Amino acid sequence: MTAAYQRHRLVGVLLAVLVMILIDHLHSPTFAFNMGNGRAESALVQRDASACAPCGAPCPSTRE
Amino acid sequence: MNQANTMAAPTARPGPDRFVVGLALVGLVVLGSLVWAETAPFLLALLAIGTLLGVALYHGAFGFTAGWRNLVTQKRGAGMRAQLLLFALTALIMIPILGSGRDDVIGAVAPVGTSLVVGSFLFGIGMQLGGGCGSGTLFTVGAGNLRMLVTLLFFIIGAVVGSLHLPWWLDLPAVDPISLIDGVGVPGAIAVQWLGLGAVALWVNRVERRAHGHLEHGELRLRPAEGGALKALFTGRWPFLWAIAVLAVGNALTLVIGGSPWGITFAFNLWGAKALQGLGVDMGHFEFWSWAYPAQALSDSVLVNIPSVMNFGLLLGAMLAAGMASRFNEASRRTPSGRSFLAAVVGGLLLGYGARLGFGCNIGALFSGLASASVHAWVWFACAFAGSWIGIRLRPWFRLAN
Repeated sequence: MTAAYQRHRLVGVLLAVLVMILIDHLHSPTFAFNMGNGRAESALVQRDASACAPCGAPCPSTRE
Repeated sequence: MNQANTMAAPTARPGPDRFVVGLALVGLVVLGSLVWAETAPFLLALLAIGTLLGVALYHGAFGFTAGWRNLVTQKRGAGMRAQLLLFALTALIMIPILGSGRDDVIGAVAPVGTSLVVGSFLFGIGMQLGGGCGSGTLFTVGAGNLRMLVTLLFFIIGAVVGSLHLPWWLDLPAVDPISLIDGVGVPGAIAVQWLGLGAVALWVNRVERRAHGHLEHGELRLRPAEGGALKALFTGRWPFLWAIAVLAVGNALTLVIGGSPWGITFAFNLWGAKALQGLGVDMGHFEFWSWAYPAQALSDSVLVNIPSVMNFGLLLGAMLAAGMASRFNEASRRTPSGRSFLAAVVGGLLLGYGARLGFGCNIGALFSGLASASVHAWVWFACAFAGSWIGIRLRPWFRLAN
């Protein structure tokens, strides 16, 4: 049975995703902090306890 | 994907696809090393949980979309009952954790109002046209399904558009989140959830019994339909109960380790917004992206965003499982075209837009919402099911089989 995919395409897609993740990470405050920039604000724990929904939306009662 | 149907015709399968399995493992090692070196151990644990969830979703063929469609078109309820069992078990585990007074965990609660009703209804239509829900889209993409990759791309676009519109929708009539834990306490919240889920199960049973005269309890099977347990563990197909156990424990662990229950679609928002930002769009001008959590997530690495890290794990976990089953990309031998392609585009847009307005997908809003005893999850369930019914009626026009 022939393979349902082409190996080089699969590797290419995964590499492209990895490169995008790396580009995003290398420009982030977390990376800057890890590189010794103590003033960079890394958001290692991203949470807003005052939000009203998992996406961070505010409560309807607080809307003006 | 329909577990009952796909299990009906056992065929001899070749051994694992070593290339795909190897590539998935290399991907997990590379990503895991990055997360370990650059972030924190708890995110590595969440990556591992995401991977396990991806394996469970693929090997268990745990598709919410097909379960709902089978009830409407085939009048078979095994898939629906499996979902209800999952919700009941997870509620039993997570509600006591959320009601324990710990300040380091937050449930998946959300406002009840216009945005939720419209969003979940649109999401339901999108599920049937796109061919999957949040988790279904992700694990089938991980398994190499090209049509679902189209759905995912437009899911992301729809989610970003939804994030730009959400503030307007939030100004329409709505009430603040209603937590049953706050209202009736932990035992009361579990009782209400179980009664509600039991009532839905009775309705599902009634539909199936009326059509067929008896129930097919495929959801209660403990042993694999073919082969030994050990072989099935690695190469599939898992009985529903195995997947239910892994998904329930996985969501509870996500809550304990990450501080909030399992969610998928916020990451789609984030990836889309980051892509636009990369193209020069200042997302900070939009209200949604000025709120604390989205703004934090947008400004920092995807490797510190819990839904993103878990989604990466889920994708690679599904790829690993599909490789073990030697079925990677099998669904893509025919390239999507014509109306089927159009359905993936429209479905993806509706999924993304609906998920943002509805405060999540079948995982973040429904599964995690019910396990958090939030009233919004019940509204989401009802409206998404109504939308799904419309979507099922639209499928033939898009040349999609029911």
